[in-house]
Amino acid sequence: MTAPRTLLDDQKPLAARWLRLSVGLGLGNGVLLILQAWLLAQVIDALVFTNAALADVTGWLWPLLALFALRALLAWASEQNAFRAAAQVKISLRDRLYRHIQAAGPAWMAGQRSGAIAEDLTRGIEAVEAYYSRYLPAMSLTALIPLTILIVVLPLDWLSALIMLVTAPLIPIFMILIGSGVERLNQQLWKDLARMGAHFLDVIQGMTTLKLFNASRREAEVIARISEDYRASTMRVLRVAFLTSAVLELFSTLGIAIIAVFIGFRLYQLELPIPELIAPPEISFVTGFFILLLAPEFYAPLRNLGTHYHGRMEAIAAAERLVAVMETELPAPPKQVASLSADSPLQIRFEGVSFSYEPGRPALAGAQFEINPGERIALVGPSGAGKTTVASLLLGFIRPEAGRISVDGEDLNALAIDDWRRRLAWLPQQPRLFQGTIADNIRLGLPDATLDEVRQAAERAQATEFIERLPLGYDSPVGERGSGLSGGQIQRVALARAFLRDARLVILDEATASLDPASEALVQRAVDQLAEGRSMLIIAHRLSTVRNADRILVIDDGRIVEAGTHAELIERDGPYRRMVRLLEPGGAHA
Amino acid sequence: MPELIRLWHLFRPYRGWMLGGFAVALITLLANVTLMAISAWFITAMAVAGAAGVAMNYFTPAAIIRGSAIARTAGRYFERLITHEATLRQLAGLRVWFYRHLEPLAPARLMAYHSADLLTRIRADIDALDNLYVRVLVPVLVAITAGLAFFVFTALFDLGLALLLLGMLLIAGVLLPWWGHRLGKQPGRRIVEIQAELRQAGIDGTQGLSELLIYGAADSHARHMDALSRALVAEQARMSQLTGIAQAATGLTANLTLWGMLWFGIPLVHDGSLAPPQLAMLALFSLATFEAVAPLPMAFQQLESTLTAARRLFAIVDTEPAVPEPTGPTPQPRDHGLSIEGLRFRYPSPVAGSGSGGSDSPDPGMSLGSSSSSGMHSDTKPPAILDGIDLELPPGRRVAIVGATGSGKTTLFNLLLRFWAPEAGSIRLGGEPLEHFPGEDLRRRIALVSQHTHLFDTSIRENLLIAAPEAPQGLLEQACATAQIHDFIAELPEGYDTWVGETGVRLSGGQARRIAIARALLRDAPILLLDEPTEGLDAVTERALMDAVQRLMTGRTVLLITHKPVALAQMDEILVLDQGRVIERGTHAELLKAPIYPRLLGLDLDA
Repeated sequence: MTAPRTLLDDQKPLAARWLRLSVGLGLGNGVLLILQAWLLAQVIDALVFTNAALADVTGWLWPLLALFALRALLAWASEQNAFRAAAQVKISLRDRLYRHIQAAGPAWMAGQRSGAIAEDLTRGIEAVEAYYSRYLPAMSLTALIPLTILIVVLPLDWLSALIMLVTAPLIPIFMILIGSGVERLNQQLWKDLARMGAHFLDVIQGMTTLKLFNASRREAEVIARISEDYRASTMRVLRVAFLTSAVLELFSTLGIAIIAVFIGFRLYQLELPIPELIAPPEISFVTGFFILLLAPEFYAPLRNLGTHYHGRMEAIAAAERLVAVMETELPAPPKQVASLSADSPLQIRFEGVSFSYEPGRPALAGAQFEINPGERIALVGPSGAGKTTVASLLLGFIRPEAGRISVDGEDLNALAIDDWRRRLAWLPQQPRLFQGTIADNIRLGLPDATLDEVRQAAERAQATEFIERLPLGYDSPVGERGSGLSGGQIQRVALARAFLRDARLVILDEATASLDPASEALVQRAVDQLAEGRSMLIIAHRLSTVRNADRILVIDDGRIVEAGTHAELIERDGPYRRMVRLLEPGGAHA
Repeated sequence: MPELIRLWHLFRPYRGWMLGGFAVALITLLANVTLMAISAWFITAMAVAGAAGVAMNYFTPAAIIRGSAIARTAGRYFERLITHEATLRQLAGLRVWFYRHLEPLAPARLMAYHSADLLTRIRADIDALDNLYVRVLVPVLVAITAGLAFFVFTALFDLGLALLLLGMLLIAGVLLPWWGHRLGKQPGRRIVEIQAELRQAGIDGTQGLSELLIYGAADSHARHMDALSRALVAEQARMSQLTGIAQAATGLTANLTLWGMLWFGIPLVHDGSLAPPQLAMLALFSLATFEAVAPLPMAFQQLESTLTAARRLFAIVDTEPAVPEPTGPTPQPRDHGLSIEGLRFRYPSPVAGSGSGGSDSPDPGMSLGSSSSSGMHSDTKPPAILDGIDLELPPGRRVAIVGATGSGKTTLFNLLLRFWAPEAGSIRLGGEPLEHFPGEDLRRRIALVSQHTHLFDTSIRENLLIAAPEAPQGLLEQACATAQIHDFIAELPEGYDTWVGETGVRLSGGQARRIAIARALLRDAPILLLDEPTEGLDAVTERALMDAVQRLMTGRTVLLITHKPVALAQMDEILVLDQGRVIERGTHAELLKAPIYPRLLGLDLDA
């Protein structure tokens, strides 16, 4: 797995321009700061030693005022650019992440927690912001600003410069020493935090179950304990982290104090507590005061490093999740793309197709069958026999591991997938409606369809009656599971989608399994209409729904074990008849 | 602002910690300002004395510099420790407080919330409250106290300069934060809204990925996400602009104060009412004082989001449970028979989407955004889910309920478990009204097996122990054997310690269901509610499981929801429910001749 850090660094080029600007502006601000300190020292000097009147120093004061304004402007601009640097990265990362998820497809999504993925797409991406807008600019400035100050101070007073030069490197060295330990603790803390979140989600989703077993109030104690543990482990990390910054602070304070004392002693003509060999340079008040003003600025970026380190940690933890998603292997694109002609009849053959989700547990093991143009095929069998796998293969969500699926003689793998899917309609047990209006949802596959076309599709899907009864009609908003609509109504909206698409092959995946008789009848009528002149694959749980199929395929253990019409199969003493018997002991009806 | 007062009351138990944090923060700030001021005075005074060749006591100021440097370093360390300790303690307490208010609401009142939304509340919203203490409360108190001290100190030298300092501190500490809060409100709210839309689009775009791909809408959804992402960044840019302006303005105000000190101080020095080292000191002192107000603009800019988080928490905490707990003594039922009379019920709008009738748990997917559905339900009263049900269920009798989705079957179970209260009619348990039983006491007598049982993210053993915390291993295995799952568990490398749930081994629907049945067996309750216990299983497993369920039913009062003829044939009575009414009742054999019943079972299609 790629290190999360690499993912973050790979995005740098996107931010580079803004980062450079931000650092440049920050550095400019630093230079102006030095100028400001110099002007200020001049004013105080004039004040102390020449007993200057206001008029004598206005020559210093006015430029000082201009400097203040300019610095405020630079500070603001630097902040803007730092934000922009992160903004570019966030926009690009989010788009890439989501498109990667799309490319990985529903088969991969099935093994994921969609809540966690949604979290990655929102908060996970936001968490990388601090890395670009705070940490990276701060790192550059930490090197640049103290260096600039040092260059200015060195020719003025080498003793102060020496003190700075000696104390400054101690700060990052010490930080790295302690930092590595903190980093380990911190990673542990992030894991604790993730575990706490997962536990809370688990409790929330299972609260009804807990309640049924009278365990929900016991759970309050568990939550108290977990929160308390989290507090204790956070404080363990923080105690070390704060100690680090305290030591940093001590170093920088000591540095400033030594510089101040040495300047003060020399101004007062006192002996300095340093070896005789070194003759301390003379110093004037104006230089001394100037250096004193610069000393805190010299240490400030180093001291701030600790704060930005936290942003880096957070970004890396988030990047770890993003890397995990972005490293999912994508199915390779077909080597040569074949295409079907527009009026291709769609003769589909499964030729010894095998597939397994986990090694050693085949979901399909050499399935062999065909769907002829215009034929109505029903696929029945026990759960786990491979029915849904057949649908997933046809829809192009997964690819055969052995054998091949051909469409009018072409290998399905080699077909342009979008062109192939354009010929399909799919109706699952729980079709998904999207945030938007009913019309938007019907238009899903054909965004440019006119309202008239939408209406016609709804009409054929037996959906006009209830849609037009809604106060807002086709403009009625619906939510993720079609809030406000019943299961049968949702099915019919989804069917209207299929009608609007005018697909050649319709795949029904237990589409009517959870409907009441009235809705089922309506949906069934719409499905019958849809089937006219089209091929249809019906995956069924309830045997009652498959009786008028042209052909019934019985699937078991990943193989087609029986095929024929209902009448033929019920005559034979095969798996089909056994299934019917098992489920419907009112034997007279079978 | 009422939120602030409520939060203040919630923070009451931690007041000692908060006061401590405030005191240390104040000391640290004062030490820092002292350090800057004395250093400036010291150097200038030394230079003046050195030039004039007069003696001065440099030990005292040097000692003060050392002392305040140490006080600042130590103070910063303890300030951080104490404020964080206080915050984390508060957060831990608040989480439990929130959970205790959340728990009575499940499942009835939580149906309208997405589980991700509740998770956000218990995690992120509670975490957001720490902002209030660390970034708002302590800094504001420190700024007020220190600001007054700074004013008095400067006034010792010159009242005019003191007033100048106070005015500038007020600009940076009051005017700028107020301005930031006012202008930050709108983008702050938009950011929260767009983030919610983005999360929704993320869930739509992952859970609905199949549809998007098949209907060729994947690319346009990706573009929709990208547009939201850009809109979010645009609002954040506005916010960042405010932050930038506030920060620059605070720095500018501090610098202007320094400048003003010099401008007005120099004449004072010139006419001798102020010594030069004193002005040098006051100049740097005034610059340093702005450390007290510097964090305020940011804090108030974000105050709105903190208060929004608080409002979201209070919204849950203030919700009344759907069913009040009785206050009287726990009744003693004479037996475990149930008797239902004239039972009527409807879900309150807008939660009552007709699509929700079939779900017995607060379906995590049922985020009926109140805004989106209100347009459709505003003037119609939601339909009755149960419309006058009568049912006599003496101890040991077995009754099945058959009906289409939305006919009210699962709702009846929810009423029996007292997750909801009936609108009219009564339910009695052993002659005592159901509403006289405390919830936990009632549920001790009932075991439920449904299609949606949650397996927790822990070991199989822990999942079983939820039902009977004290049960020995032998009992667990016996229950699992009855539920037809023991052999499967025994074959797993880690047996009963195998981790299940989201991060553990993925169990098939059937396997999870059988563990849930074992859990219900361990419960050993006299009343058994079964909600399509074999739905979605293949024929062979179903057969075996039905046998297990039959054994489980012996000697118990049973209500079974199913449409499986095998199971129905063995029940004492069957009720056919349609739109909240019993339309047919009798035994399996009798009902086969009725008009609706065979249709519901799919047995009529030959005809």
